[in-house]
Amino acid sequence: MKTFVKTAMLGAALGVGAVLAAPAAYAQDSVYAPNLSYRTGPFAATGIPLMDGQRDYILMLNERDGGVNGVKIDYDECETGYSTEKGVECYEKTKSKAIVTQPWSTGITLQVLPKTNVDKIPILAPGYGFSPMANGKVFQWAYNPPASYWDGASMLLNYVSGGDMASLKGKKIALLHLDHPYGKEPIPLFQAMAEKHGFTFLPVPVGLKEMQNQSAQWLQIRREKPDFVFMWGWGAMNAGALTEAVKTKYPMDQFIGIWWSGHDGDMKTVGEKGKGYKSISWSVPVADAPVMADIKKHVVDAGKSLIGGADDMDTVFYQRGVLISMILVEGIRVAQDHFDTKVVNAEQLRWGLENLKIDDARIAELGMTGMVGPFSTSCSNHTGHSGAWILQWDGGKFAPISDKLTADAEAISALEQVKAMEYAEANAPWPVNEACK
Amino acid sequence: MDFLHSILIKPFADMVAAPDFLMQVLWEGLVSGVLYALIALGFVLIYKSSRIFNFAQGIMVVFAALTLVGLHEKGVHALLAVPLTLLVMLMLAVAIERVVLRPLVNQPDIILFMATIGITLFLIGFGELIFGGENKVMITEQLLIPTGSYTFEPFGGFLLIEQKDLTAVIGAIALVLILLLFLNRSKMGRAIRALGDDHQAALSVGISLSTIWVLVWFIAGVIALATGIVWGARAGVSFALDVIAYKALPVLMLGGLESVTGAIVGGLAIGILEKLFELYWGQPLLGGNTETWFAFVFALVILLFRPQGLFGEKIIERI
Amino acid sequence: MLYRIAGQFKTNYRADHALFPVRQDAVLLAVILICALVVFPLTASEFTFQALLIPVLIYSLAALGLNILTGYAGQLSLGTGAFMGVGAYACYKLITIFPEMNLLVAIGLSGFFSAAVGMAFGLPSLRIKGFYLAIATLAAQFFLVWLFEKWAWLYNYNASGAIQVPTIDMFGIRVAGPTASSIVQYYFVLLVVGLMTFFAINITRGHIGRSWKAVRDMDIAAELVGINLLRSKLIAFGVSSYIVGVSGALFVFMWRGAAEPNLFDIPLSFRVLFIAIIGGLGSVMGNYLGAILIVALPVVLNIVPEALGLDINAATLEHLNIMIIGALIVTVLIVEPHGLARFWAIIREKLIIWPFPH
Repeated sequence: MKTFVKTAMLGAALGVGAVLAAPAAYAQDSVYAPNLSYRTGPFAATGIPLMDGQRDYILMLNERDGGVNGVKIDYDECETGYSTEKGVECYEKTKSKAIVTQPWSTGITLQVLPKTNVDKIPILAPGYGFSPMANGKVFQWAYNPPASYWDGASMLLNYVSGGDMASLKGKKIALLHLDHPYGKEPIPLFQAMAEKHGFTFLPVPVGLKEMQNQSAQWLQIRREKPDFVFMWGWGAMNAGALTEAVKTKYPMDQFIGIWWSGHDGDMKTVGEKGKGYKSISWSVPVADAPVMADIKKHVVDAGKSLIGGADDMDTVFYQRGVLISMILVEGIRVAQDHFDTKVVNAEQLRWGLENLKIDDARIAELGMTGMVGPFSTSCSNHTGHSGAWILQWDGGKFAPISDKLTADAEAISALEQVKAMEYAEANAPWPVNEACK
Repeated sequence: MDFLHSILIKPFADMVAAPDFLMQVLWEGLVSGVLYALIALGFVLIYKSSRIFNFAQGIMVVFAALTLVGLHEKGVHALLAVPLTLLVMLMLAVAIERVVLRPLVNQPDIILFMATIGITLFLIGFGELIFGGENKVMITEQLLIPTGSYTFEPFGGFLLIEQKDLTAVIGAIALVLILLLFLNRSKMGRAIRALGDDHQAALSVGISLSTIWVLVWFIAGVIALATGIVWGARAGVSFALDVIAYKALPVLMLGGLESVTGAIVGGLAIGILEKLFELYWGQPLLGGNTETWFAFVFALVILLFRPQGLFGEKIIERI
Repeated sequence: MLYRIAGQFKTNYRADHALFPVRQDAVLLAVILICALVVFPLTASEFTFQALLIPVLIYSLAALGLNILTGYAGQLSLGTGAFMGVGAYACYKLITIFPEMNLLVAIGLSGFFSAAVGMAFGLPSLRIKGFYLAIATLAAQFFLVWLFEKWAWLYNYNASGAIQVPTIDMFGIRVAGPTASSIVQYYFVLLVVGLMTFFAINITRGHIGRSWKAVRDMDIAAELVGINLLRSKLIAFGVSSYIVGVSGALFVFMWRGAAEPNLFDIPLSFRVLFIAIIGGLGSVMGNYLGAILIVALPVVLNIVPEALGLDINAATLEHLNIMIIGALIVTVLIVEPHGLARFWAIIREKLIIWPFPH
């Protein structure tokens, strides 16, 4: 019996392996770009479309152009299940040949952040991670373009105040957030802004175990009657919050999520009732973008994609995944040009990510017009602060309803400086590159 | 003084000041309580008949709900998918009995408990392999569960009662009644109770251990499906749901491991009290999120006075 | 053949009860120690250190702590993760308040904090037994993790609510922080784990250990023969939590480098419980065997398909991993409920009488 079970398990493992066996690894002319993905666990629902987007863009480049300047990108996933422990294991496993780390969780980012300085591998955390990472003088190896959580928080405030922050005086703003480093990330900025502009800030934490049962949190919101509710939710929490919001009769148009809370899949659980829900996003899904057509032609129709069907390509998260890979590939391309080499290494990629110039012309060349705002990074600015749009759920899909918003750069950079220095001090000796212009 | 005031007086003043809100809190607590009670019931049945503390009950909820939704996605009619899911749960019960329980008969409690954790892990991996990790929408409407809501306006405020929550409460009560009837009136049910009272005696009068175990695990599967439908209708079906197993543990301890009444009373008590505590004490005074531990601490305090839980069998120790 | 005991005569009672009644056991231990002290460090790669050697040692220590409580004193605990957290946070506070403090001292002291917390949550064990006691430890588990999350003083008001290990030097050698080398950390962990194991072996073989076993086998009977239950159970909780706390401090300072409260949540407790049970309850060596199995298996399973040249989708691989681990737990329990330690004992018995089993 016992041996049978074991043999059966092994047999099954090998069987599945054989079925999924893909062509052999790429030859010499490739760069290794692992992704610390999470297609399993409680957050898989939000992870899967993002990973699919990332993967498909790179597969498309490899198919269409044979990679970047003739160098194929060896995209590989290491499954973390959003667990910090597995994430660090993946980092250790991939770091010897990887040119980049894509940690995919604020928790994992915090863990690998000090190590990258030593191992000299850039972290690329587009739109997530630790907001002070924008300060390139302190965080020389970490990048979170095109917008950080603090950008998001500031833009949300700008949006609800209609550009006039003074109008927020006396208002009450609740932040429904996951009780996890990710959810706590915007709190310092909100607190600073609340003090400066005279509104009341009310954090409403949702424990990891309460994600699907948020009635207590929403009863609190009902009691406190905040003027706006912002949400830093993830995975199953988003759907849970939306159901409860409907139930509490909280006005949907005063309920706005961060970019990770604007997932089409989550909205499907509430459907029509979620109409009016808004989410800020630094990416906009454009169904007829040339790049999407290329992905469809080379990857999806060729049956190489992992997504359910071509319909899933128009979702916010899938297209954001595409953009995230675009940022990485652009970094590689810039590094290739600058160092006049084909196969870039981690240190060269670091330079590339630091000198990104994604302007409108470049976006058009990439076939991504309208999908993302222009931004550029520099030695001291690792975020780029691209700006974002408000997307609204119309019952069937997310559509942009605002002009491009920008963040209050002044307030953010002051806070970034303070928090970055605090981090450097707590982790002394921490190398700080003061020479940065 | 201020401190005492905020603990002892202010919460009650708040309750009186907004009675409609209090009613909503109590209703939400009741609905969660019913769900906790349902899960705890699955635990109790298995514990009663086999002394197994079945940690896998939580993942069985997810598994049942995913099977139901998965079958529906494959084009099976919703109402047909329910019996098919039950068939799958029956197969699961048989498989667990054959592969895991039978070889482990007579092992210490903790070994059996561990084995159910093993089953949990296996089912998580297996479920994700088959169904994928995406959050699925529960097929509420297709199952003919009403999705509207009633709004009452007591004391000038409002009280919103979702029809699906109401259905859940009524459904749960019906399920419990049927179960009680089955346990008390049918031959099989009596056999389950006999096995719970005394294994040896039950075996000697010809009750088949393996049949009863399959039956009990199947009933636990039925309860899991019911819980899965109800909870899934609230927040979608995903693997994050399996944490509700933790919620059932304090309920069990509070009510007593082998008491059906205990599971129901414990579930309702914990559901309501944790909501009240969270809203009137936890959020204003402790920074919120007290629901993660309140039930455990509450059960612990009660256990200090009644070590076998409220309705558990009195523990008689002999040398 | 290898394990021949012929010619080894015991001439007094003391010799018969020595730690290694058979000389070959001592030789085997020496071989293992040489491996641990010399061979592994010389041959291991960075990845081996970080993903195998260091975690195996730390998890064994945590399981050892749990085993004292559950395996020796018979009190089921599901709160190991939280007690590890107490050790880690205590160590972090000690180090940040007194930056001059020697890390070894800080880790040693932090164990006392978790021992105190452990004993407090152990008090109900006098009235509550069996699975009902699990609730007390679960209450500790959930309450403490919540506290780590809410009590900002614990993490020095860090915005992310996480603790970061500062860079620490000891006698001029960098032992903790991102720039510490793995080999130093490995020896540091090995030293602490070695000391703790030595301490645990002795305590379980002595008077206290025997009273624990009596309590485990039947506490009323133990009470009747004059064992003070309160004292015995509380010492078990204290010693167990001390070891678990130390392992928690090592877990964060020597391995992870940073920690958020969720790290210490219930999955960690279960993981340690798996190790203790699969290794064998009531055995010291079992913890090591269990840790090797539970920690190394997923790592190995992740590498195998790559080594075989199969390109399995990362997610599928993870699903298979979880399934295999679940199946393995069940299988081990069915084959040998007393764990790997008993497996080894059987092999050893067989070896001793081999090749003449009759």
